[in-house]
Amino acid sequence: MTQPILWNDFRPGASLGEITQPFDDSLASAWRGIFGTGDAGTPAEGAGIAIAMMMRGYLGVVTPRPPGNVHARQRFMLEAVPRQGEAIRTVVACLSKEMKRERRYVDLDVRGTGEGGRSIYKGILTLVWAA
Amino acid sequence: MTNELQAVSLTADADVIRAYGELTDDFNPIHIDPEFAAKTPMGGCIAHGTMSICLLWQSMFRSFGDGAAQRVELDVRFVKPVRVGETIHAGGELESADSQTYRVWVRGDDGVDRLVGTARLSPEGTTA
Repeated sequence: MTQPILWNDFRPGASLGEITQPFDDSLASAWRGIFGTGDAGTPAEGAGIAIAMMMRGYLGVVTPRPPGNVHARQRFMLEAVPRQGEAIRTVVACLSKEMKRERRYVDLDVRGTGEGGRSIYKGILTLVWAA
Repeated sequence: MTNELQAVSLTADADVIRAYGELTDDFNPIHIDPEFAAKTPMGGCIAHGTMSICLLWQSMFRSFGDGAAQRVELDVRFVKPVRVGETIHAGGELESADSQTYRVWVRGDDGVDRLVGTARLSPEGTTA
């Protein structure tokens, strides 16, 4: 089994990879199962899907991870609402890392683009890495 | 601009947390494995942090309308975990009409913040 990516492995400034995933019917259906159908097809749903796709992108690229990581902060710029059926390319890089109060913090830059390279989101995930 | 965002609520029970894990492909055991989670600094299972952000989007877009803001810059901190079974509420208030900035939050039934931050809007075609 592949060893998990540890905090010591992160190199600030280094690209971690990319992944392309579709915003398909199953994602929309899963979102509606949690947040209801009242916002189906609206930007509220699209923005939520953008967050979900950012997470799927990050988790698809930065893997395997040690269990128990948690979010500390998130900066997220929604630049366009993704369209159902659109393929979203997510690129992940390590921005920085820091040990603070015996906690291992890492900042990841996560950017998503859609059809024709249009920018969908830019995010910075600040995570407390478990190991 | 509206002064107050329309509040939106969600109960983060185990089924919802499991469903959100499937939506995001995030099966971190801190969300779904009580035995594992009990041994972490969180002391038990917690909901995914980004679930609260999705709820915040609902609050914002319901308040602004579909075309009101094409670009939103969100900066939030997760100040307290959302425990399994808690009902959370997302909302916010206008902080600055000039910069189109809202102070946003997600709170529990106890009125204590789980997530706090700002949301800055800009219409389509402008720079945020």
